[in-house]
Amino acid sequence: MLYELKEVTRVHGRRTILDIPSLAVPAGKIYSLIGPNGAGKTTLLHLLAFLDAPSTGRISFRSSPVRYSERSLLPLRRQVVLLDQYPILFTGAVWKNLDFGLKVRKIERKKRKILIEEALAQVGMEDFFHAQAQTLSGGETKRVALARALVVRPRVLLCDEPTANVDAENLGVILDILERANRENGISVIFATHSHSQARRMSRHSLIMKDGRLSDLPRDNVFMATVVGQAENRVVCSLQNDIRIRVPVSGAFAGARNIRLFLNPDHLHFTREPGTCRGPANLLPGTVAIIAAENDRIRLTVDIGLSVHLFLSLPEYSRISPAVGERAFVLIDDKAITIE
Amino acid sequence: MDLLLDSFRSAFLLLLSCDHELLVIVSCSLKVSGMATLLAALIGLPLGFVISFTTFPGKRLVITCLNTLLALPTVVIGLVVYSFLSRRGVLGVLDLLYTQTAMVIGQIILIVPVITVMTIAAINRIDTRYRLTALTLGANRYQAAWLIFKEARFGVIAAVIAAFGRVIAEIGISMMLGGNAKGFTRTMTTAMALEYDKGEFVLAVALGIILMGFAFGINILFHVVQGRSDAL
Repeated sequence: MLYELKEVTRVHGRRTILDIPSLAVPAGKIYSLIGPNGAGKTTLLHLLAFLDAPSTGRISFRSSPVRYSERSLLPLRRQVVLLDQYPILFTGAVWKNLDFGLKVRKIERKKRKILIEEALAQVGMEDFFHAQAQTLSGGETKRVALARALVVRPRVLLCDEPTANVDAENLGVILDILERANRENGISVIFATHSHSQARRMSRHSLIMKDGRLSDLPRDNVFMATVVGQAENRVVCSLQNDIRIRVPVSGAFAGARNIRLFLNPDHLHFTREPGTCRGPANLLPGTVAIIAAENDRIRLTVDIGLSVHLFLSLPEYSRISPAVGERAFVLIDDKAITIE
Repeated sequence: MDLLLDSFRSAFLLLLSCDHELLVIVSCSLKVSGMATLLAALIGLPLGFVISFTTFPGKRLVITCLNTLLALPTVVIGLVVYSFLSRRGVLGVLDLLYTQTAMVIGQIILIVPVITVMTIAAINRIDTRYRLTALTLGANRYQAAWLIFKEARFGVIAAVIAAFGRVIAEIGISMMLGGNAKGFTRTMTTAMALEYDKGEFVLAVALGIILMGFAFGINILFHVVQGRSDAL
């Protein structure tokens, strides 16, 4: 295992900002770390980069427990590079930025130059060798920071929202670079993101975080809703664009007026026949917006006034053959709905 | 008004003639203040650096004390150092009183807090991400600290320039510890005070012009350095 975390917490003042009972991350993979702001993604990345120590618990790296002394941490840090969400480049030329990590590793001058040129070419910034770092745009800065991380040939590359505030062109380039680094150089990549689509595109493995904890629930299909009525063990909830969903509750609903609804994609169904809906289940009309392969199943994104995701198995997909732009219905089983 | 204009005219003529006495006084000032600034930088820069980078109990108190020392009057420093260097003082045997060395010692005490406090401020202004980036790129703590020092270099240079400006214009220490001995410890400020006492304004005004020239030059240098710091 690349990383193993046991009973790891990180406490600031009296607040526990990270609490991970157990986590194992194998080597050589791309992992996405998904969660909203304040979920603890950056804190976890800092622990994995050995820039912070956990308040309690143990972290093992490549099956050896991490010791938090300067002498022990240095060799570990030289295997792991963290790319900050808003990376800063050191004052001076671009090549000097890339030279820093190589110089502290005492790599000889001629080899350093070759490695720097290779790394800049890898991120498409070879023409910026002598450019002043402070003159670069946001996207260029991110690419140079990525080159600065890759040039030291790390075993692990940790990226904190690598595509935050990046235009579409640079976004694609950065994601490609990360994929290539993993595929061609065997670098394990763990990247934090808010974007489910990025996470899906980049990685087969996701760690979902909420309030400093790892969560089992995927964060797709979570919506804010307002309770607008109640009848026969059901509350009527209004979502964005006045989409109404009847939510089963046991007895009188005593919850808050504003709630969060989670529609589990595994219990949503795609249908063309409104007549298939029996009983009190919800049936919402919509348009197929995206069809994407994800691991060994197909993800369908249907626009019902807001984007709802559901999964089809491969045989199911072959049988139904949905098409982008097609009008259809999303059938929401009662067991798909959870009030958070 | 005529007196002032006459003094200015005579002072410019004195400057143009490169008067020997004037040059001796200016060189004494530069030598003493330059040496004091150099030695104070050797003490203040590492001190500011260490205080910025380490955490220890009472750190805030130390910074507060250093800030307080910025307001230390030169005559107080003069008195304290005098009490050590006078014949009855504990360092009286060194026979340093009324020498340039005594002036340098006093001026070092005056500007070490200036350099230290400004160095702390310059380093604290550097984004913490520089340190984290250096560490994650494999630097040890000394290499990371050196990187931050380099990033803060313009602020640090500004600290040294400001300190030089402070000592070149001070009078209390130079007068009390140097004694204003002609050709030895007479600086621009002490000479100006003496000439004023004698009612001889020409040399005083000439020295004043030179001193203001230095102050102007230092300020220009200060702004150039700060400008580069902001631009980069």
